[in-house]
Amino acid sequence: MNLTHLNQRGEAHMVDVADKAETRREATASGHILMKPDTLALLIDGGLPKGDVLATARIAGIQAAKRTHELIPLCHALPLSKVTVDFHLDEQNSRVEVIATCRLKGRTGVEMEALTAVSVACLTLYDMCKAVDKDMEIGAIHLDAKRGGKSGDYQRQPGAAMTPIVTGEGAAGQVSVGTRCDIDSPCVRVKFLAELRERLGVSDLTLPLDTLPSTDVGGLKSALAKRDARFTRLGEGRVLCAVNQVMALDATPITNDDEVAFFPPVTGG
Amino acid sequence: MIRVQESAFDPGSEQRQLLEGRSDIGAVVSFTGLVRDFNERPDVSALTLEHYPGMTETALGEIVAEAQARWPLQGVRLIHRVGRLSPGDPIVLVVVASAHRRAAFEACDFIMDYLKTRAPFWKKEHSNTGDYWVAERESDHRDASRWESEND
Repeated sequence: MNLTHLNQRGEAHMVDVADKAETRREATASGHILMKPDTLALLIDGGLPKGDVLATARIAGIQAAKRTHELIPLCHALPLSKVTVDFHLDEQNSRVEVIATCRLKGRTGVEMEALTAVSVACLTLYDMCKAVDKDMEIGAIHLDAKRGGKSGDYQRQPGAAMTPIVTGEGAAGQVSVGTRCDIDSPCVRVKFLAELRERLGVSDLTLPLDTLPSTDVGGLKSALAKRDARFTRLGEGRVLCAVNQVMALDATPITNDDEVAFFPPVTGG
Repeated sequence: MIRVQESAFDPGSEQRQLLEGRSDIGAVVSFTGLVRDFNERPDVSALTLEHYPGMTETALGEIVAEAQARWPLQGVRLIHRVGRLSPGDPIVLVVVASAHRRAAFEACDFIMDYLKTRAPFWKKEHSNTGDYWVAERESDHRDASRWESEND
């Protein structure tokens, strides 16, 4: 493992990407800002002195993504094709979650842009709300997923506390949610459950619909097997499949944003 | 009523709630499944149950609806636990009420057979010699198929 931003003499340098192939890149990052319940209530009601907090923070995040190269020394200036910044108002935990996605067709990844968008959106939220709450805390800024490029796809595996679904010694509960699809880039969300998840070493992934030789479960299996030999296992033995939580066969069609789950025979009761 | 939960349940209290205020029920059959300390290996120290949230509730709902279509039932309560359980812990509860015993016995048996082969739960057993995922059993499928041959 090498740090690509250091040259052979250990000095910082900008990686020459001229000869890298242009591919479609996408990265999603998220973080949150913790605040007093009263502050969140004011934010929701629009009662903060500086006005529309979320709209301002969204614009700030998008602007920041575009200017990442000015902030982070060895980042390239990138012609981003898309930046989205979304907010989730989490009243239960008294915080605002910030999710940013950046995309482009180009030669370098866009995770720094997504992380910068989240960071600056959080800072802007702080600035907009600080008149009423100085104890706010920004935290948990991290990369959730990255697609495209030589180093391959990355999907953050949430920590044990956040994925109640069990592996090994874990606790129980829910399946983590994969990245979302949208109309511009139709995709299918794939989950692997129980023993299958452990054998494959992956719980969730998303796959562009246009990479499927046929838009059905059989086509999805072929596309997965082509992507990684591990997935040939899906065509072997007793592997069951559900599309949108209904049992499915190889011929079952798949459309944009469908949730397809692969799992072993059930053993409850 | 169908519930998927991590917490323990009390079969007696669940049955009382099902019967409360009813004098038309003539028979109630209750089945409680418990975690054994032996299965594929002799020294099971704990069990972890995983499920597929969303699909689980739908699948259990369909099984109960199928039972209600086959037998004249007056009440069904189905609870399945998820998470980490210890030997002796209750894991699944099926309570079926009907005017007559035969329907209650059969429907309870049917619900458990279908649950074991159709509801998306998976067991991982923890033993002193390691953890392993429980394999499906041919006998469970034979049990479930009894209900198909009789009605086809």
